[in-house]
Amino acid sequence: MSQSATTRSAAAAPAPGRRRLDLFALLVRFQSVIGLIVVAIGGVIFSPRRHGLILFLAPDNMANIVRAVSETGIIAVGMTFVIITAGIDLSVGALLSLSSVLTATIMTTAGWGLIPTVLFVVACGAAFGAVQGTISNRFRLEPFIVTLAGLQVARGLALVISNNQYINISYGNGPGLAPPVFAILGDRLFDNTVPVATLVFVVVAAIATFVLNFTRFGRYVFAVGGNERAARLSGVPVTAVKISVYAITGLVSAIAGVVHAGQFNFGSANDGTGYELTAIAAVVIGGTSLFGGAGSMVGTVAGAVMLGALANVLQLNNINAALQLLATGAIIVLAAVLQSLVRRREGLGR
Amino acid sequence: MSGPVETAAPLLVMRGVTKHFGGVQALRGVDFDLKRGEIHALLGENGAGKSTLMNILSGVFAPDDGEMLLEGQSVRFDDPRAAQGAGVATIFQELDLVPSLDVTANLFLGRELTRAGVLDRPAMRKEALTRISVVGADINVDQPVGELSVGRRQIVAIAKALTYASNILIMDEPTAALTASEVERLFVVMREIAARGVGIVYISHRLEEVPRVADRVTVMRDGQVAGVQPAKAPQSELVRLLVGRPLDELYPKRATVLGKPVLTLEHARFTPRTERPGWQAPEDVSLIVRAGEIVGLAGIMGAGRTELLTALYGAAGSGKWSGVVQIDGEPARLTSIRGARGEGLGLVTDDRRGSGLLIRDTVGRNLVLTVLERVSPGFLMSRARESALSREAIKAFDVRPPRPEIVVGALSGGNQQKVVIAKEVLGDPRLLLLDEPTRGVDVGAKGEIYARVRELAGKGMGVLVASSEMPELLGLCDRVVVLRNGRTVAEFPGGADEHQVLEAAERSEDETV
Repeated sequence: MSQSATTRSAAAAPAPGRRRLDLFALLVRFQSVIGLIVVAIGGVIFSPRRHGLILFLAPDNMANIVRAVSETGIIAVGMTFVIITAGIDLSVGALLSLSSVLTATIMTTAGWGLIPTVLFVVACGAAFGAVQGTISNRFRLEPFIVTLAGLQVARGLALVISNNQYINISYGNGPGLAPPVFAILGDRLFDNTVPVATLVFVVVAAIATFVLNFTRFGRYVFAVGGNERAARLSGVPVTAVKISVYAITGLVSAIAGVVHAGQFNFGSANDGTGYELTAIAAVVIGGTSLFGGAGSMVGTVAGAVMLGALANVLQLNNINAALQLLATGAIIVLAAVLQSLVRRREGLGR
Repeated sequence: MSGPVETAAPLLVMRGVTKHFGGVQALRGVDFDLKRGEIHALLGENGAGKSTLMNILSGVFAPDDGEMLLEGQSVRFDDPRAAQGAGVATIFQELDLVPSLDVTANLFLGRELTRAGVLDRPAMRKEALTRISVVGADINVDQPVGELSVGRRQIVAIAKALTYASNILIMDEPTAALTASEVERLFVVMREIAARGVGIVYISHRLEEVPRVADRVTVMRDGQVAGVQPAKAPQSELVRLLVGRPLDELYPKRATVLGKPVLTLEHARFTPRTERPGWQAPEDVSLIVRAGEIVGLAGIMGAGRTELLTALYGAAGSGKWSGVVQIDGEPARLTSIRGARGEGLGLVTDDRRGSGLLIRDTVGRNLVLTVLERVSPGFLMSRARESALSREAIKAFDVRPPRPEIVVGALSGGNQQKVVIAKEVLGDPRLLLLDEPTRGVDVGAKGEIYARVRELAGKGMGVLVASSEMPELLGLCDRVVVLRNGRTVAEFPGGADEHQVLEAAERSEDETV
């Protein structure tokens, strides 16, 4: 190859088309953040007003939005890891319910104290997820099937343990009473503005963002989803990574379950239904590809908050629940279409 | 305009065809013509543009510019169905067969015979038997295609295409997977089809097949037509057109100093725990790769070249090695990928998109994949170290454009291949296993890859290369070992006579068939 030919091809090739693609890709990359901004602006414009006060922006309303999304948001954060490996976890909602039942039961009967109880429940959640991941890997089963079964098992365990009753948590010092400090999960801090449940969400999301983007494990997650065979041949411990991500969803579902019990002061075998779908929706809207290998934690968080804000805006305007579902469905399709356009532009969607 | 000799009008004329993908100019104003009853060979190195040209003719891609005349009429095929409707049939390199369906169902896919709206299985089966016998193969039409060997699948694909090729039949490297006797049978069939007035475009990079089957040959290089010749033209002239320079400049000088053996196999045998059909396990392999040496693995399709490399790399599933398997003179346990990597092995697979690269991830993130433990010895990634390593690898292999942040799938085939090899080399292997290291790579990048591999060997790395391209093995390697049915059967020095090596590779086929 002559020198001039080299320079020519290197310089001429990607220059003009590239920049446009980058802009478009950037837009898609932050689609959920942009979506969140759009929803917020819409919320302000269409918000009902009382005494000149924009109800959407009222501190109580804002706190409600971020509190309402905290449980599914925590789950969505874990789900992001799984989906980046091209997997799925349907057991998360049921596991939340099982964890809330476990938390309430242990607090009201065993009297282990706060920290041992929480650690135990969270460890159970992680173990549950790890078992699902192990089964899926060992027997080469689709995670869809394994976690669908996991959903039934977790729900069944919750029903057995709770005897299909609400397990109410009463606070105080003494047998059968939970430590009063646990009730803080239902409170708001900082001048009664920030719900504690939301703080848990923020902390979980911050840790997850860090792990996904700045650790070797995070890179492994992307590699496994991007091309499992290539990752394995490159020496990535693929099986361990695939089991770990399900342990992570199990762990965050248990955290969400503890938060749930603390917020509502009971454990119930019938809560958390459909949370898996809300979480998956948040992840997809956040720009993570169901094909694996690409995704963003910030996107997931924005996606989760956006779904909550959208529901809130529609509620404030007394728009019925059916329409909320339609709107959510339309947004999911839009997010998926944008992803597919990017793939096609990269010439990889043929 | 109405010329006196209508028969002289070519069946097909393509004029000034241009096509680019992203930044890569695949075709730059290509002219091509085909007559009725002619077998026209289309020769070119990988990446020369021959497949792209034929994909345009068969409606897979739309050209950026240029025109196509079929029997004097301007035509334009927007999709493969339109091309098929005009009697243009293609047998693609990636066979368009459904592995889970049986041979009969594949032959009639999309054109099923029905009676009163219901599939007419007996009629299809009968017709399938006829069609298979036309290509002279004994293939069970009730067998799922996935259970057939690659060579037999190829024949099914040919039988399928023949049924609607009324004008033009395009064959994209049909002989790549076939044994010598199957190739002969195929050539007979091709001549029969041509005699019926069909024009055949025969894509190949096997020079020696051209005079045996074709009438004319068009040679392509770097997206252009390098020349059109009668098929009987001297081979040296075709080589000059093909490569654009005398062949010996393509390959670097051979090793002068060899070190101690890195890999020693003596009657080594790998027994997989579960037998897989079509997977030729290494049965009895004896060979030595010394430090500084490039050893080639020759053999026909199915001889077990890829299988030997993957088994050495511990990537062949669970199983057991027996016989002598030594790395640096010490017994080595090569039964898991991490174990093999721990012994200092690195593998570049023959399928960079399927198993080599995270195709949607960036060049930089791909490059450091094998050395993440070095980039981040603790929990945290060191972005600085990562960036330094990937820039170093990009520079060493001259990846173009030299930007680690680009998505690797956007690079040309040659540059993707450089990234795959560079990724393994970053891991500092003692023994580098290369499987088809220049598949789908243009001549320029080929030369660069050869030079770099030789340079690495010069620094004391042992290299074991499997390739189906005999000139590549004989040009690049210090020694070539021939595999047959999973056994090493012969060994030749680099630069040996190609025909002798081929003969050794194919001998047993002729004995057993």
